[in-house]
Amino acid sequence: MAPSLFDQLWLARNVILSGLGLTVSISLLAILAGSVLGVFVGLSLTYGNRWLRLVVRVYTDIIRGTPVLVLVLASYYVSSAVGVNLDPFSAGVLALAVFCSSHVGEIVRGGLQAIPKGQTEAAKAIGLTFGQTFAYVLWPQALRQFLPAWVNTAAEMVKASTLLSVIGVAELLLRTQEIISRNFMSLQFYFFAGALYFVVNYGIERFGKYVERKTAVPS
Amino acid sequence: MYISNTGNRMNTSFHTGGILAASVFLLLSTSAYSEAASKLDDVLARGHLVLGTGSTNAPWHFKSVDDKLQGFDVDMGRIVAKALFGDPDKIEYVIQSSDARIPNITTDKVDMTCQFMTVTGERAQQVAFAIPYYREGVGLMLKGDSQYADFAALKAAGSAVTVSVLQNVYAEDMVHAALPEAKVDQYDSVDLIYQALESGRSDAVATDQSSLAWYMAQNPDRYKDAGYGWNPQTYACAVKRGDQDWLNFVNTALHEAMTGVEFDFYAKSYKTWFGKDLPPPQIGFPVEFK
Repeated sequence: MAPSLFDQLWLARNVILSGLGLTVSISLLAILAGSVLGVFVGLSLTYGNRWLRLVVRVYTDIIRGTPVLVLVLASYYVSSAVGVNLDPFSAGVLALAVFCSSHVGEIVRGGLQAIPKGQTEAAKAIGLTFGQTFAYVLWPQALRQFLPAWVNTAAEMVKASTLLSVIGVAELLLRTQEIISRNFMSLQFYFFAGALYFVVNYGIERFGKYVERKTAVPS
Repeated sequence: MYISNTGNRMNTSFHTGGILAASVFLLLSTSAYSEAASKLDDVLARGHLVLGTGSTNAPWHFKSVDDKLQGFDVDMGRIVAKALFGDPDKIEYVIQSSDARIPNITTDKVDMTCQFMTVTGERAQQVAFAIPYYREGVGLMLKGDSQYADFAALKAAGSAVTVSVLQNVYAEDMVHAALPEAKVDQYDSVDLIYQALESGRSDAVATDQSSLAWYMAQNPDRYKDAGYGWNPQTYACAVKRGDQDWLNFVNTALHEAMTGVEFDFYAKSYKTWFGKDLPPPQIGFPVEFK
């Protein structure tokens, strides 16, 4: 008896969909939280005073220099050792968000620092406050600078979400492995999962392109 | 490697936390709890067992088509839950990878882990093992149309043979105990070692005979057993160290499933996952002392 792939896919449809749903929610939560946190990291790195810069720099460098898997495991086990006891889902999202924040922070810093200093000085010269300078001069330009890199990081987060399977979060990869352990059709189902990951990441890429178009300087 | 490090770090910091928690508990405890509480009391009060196991290895712990966790490991947990609550379904499952088995016990993420865990001296220093529920051995599986007829042919071929095996610290030595010259390829999960055989990356799969038996039963006539078994290992559930009361309870539940009132439960599970009928324990003089 050779079970057909389509029969097996149809049998597993709910399991795959629930895994995909979890993967998408993990990624969205991590990207959102990581981006918000990351913007603060980037601002601190660019405009913070010496001590704030030092603290945030140490945070960014440690997080960026640590494998995501290590962060995921640390977040799961350390939390329980200090008595917070996060469930696997929250621990995983926390780890991904923290990782995302360090990358977004660097991207934001790069985008802001790429703007020639003369613009800030010119803004000051015409009497803009720092808040106004930031909102009307620096941020719109930095946004265009860092959008492509941000899309890249977002796609990385989707891929990093697979690491949550190690702490037992039933996201798409673990769901796929569960199905394979039943029907042993590893090539087919891994390929299918790969295609789903591609679809998600392609969606993110298209969304990024859309935002880039919307924010582009009209020519 | 990393995980065992975390586990150790966790142990120390956890002990500190444990002492803290214990002091708080002592401060808060009224006369109602004069003795140190066992996990057994916690579990009974909670109303369900928290069982750590995997979800990706048939026939030990895997998901049915309708997404229910099942398998021999899962049934061992169900035996304990039945002993606790009279209901084998009162279980909350914590899905964990094999690497997470010991850390999840030492950090109290689970009450008990049943996940085809081989009993070793090193592990017994970190967790407390219950009595064995299965004796595993390694076998070799070949493709039905393999150029090698049996174990003797594999051995004669020497280093021309590649064996795919589940990743483990002692995987290499394990294969070499039977085939000293064979090349060993280690893979992350069971389906991948079969995939390696199927795609010709390996000539034979070396893994637990139970898994091979299950796989061959699922794919009749496509594979053959090389007809050699070695490397006995004991599978046992594990609990946290230092709670004899809880360990005794788990032992009693499993023991009575293999020799006493719950024998039918165990035998039915054994038949389902390994395809063999067990003779009932001899009545009269206890089998344990034969």
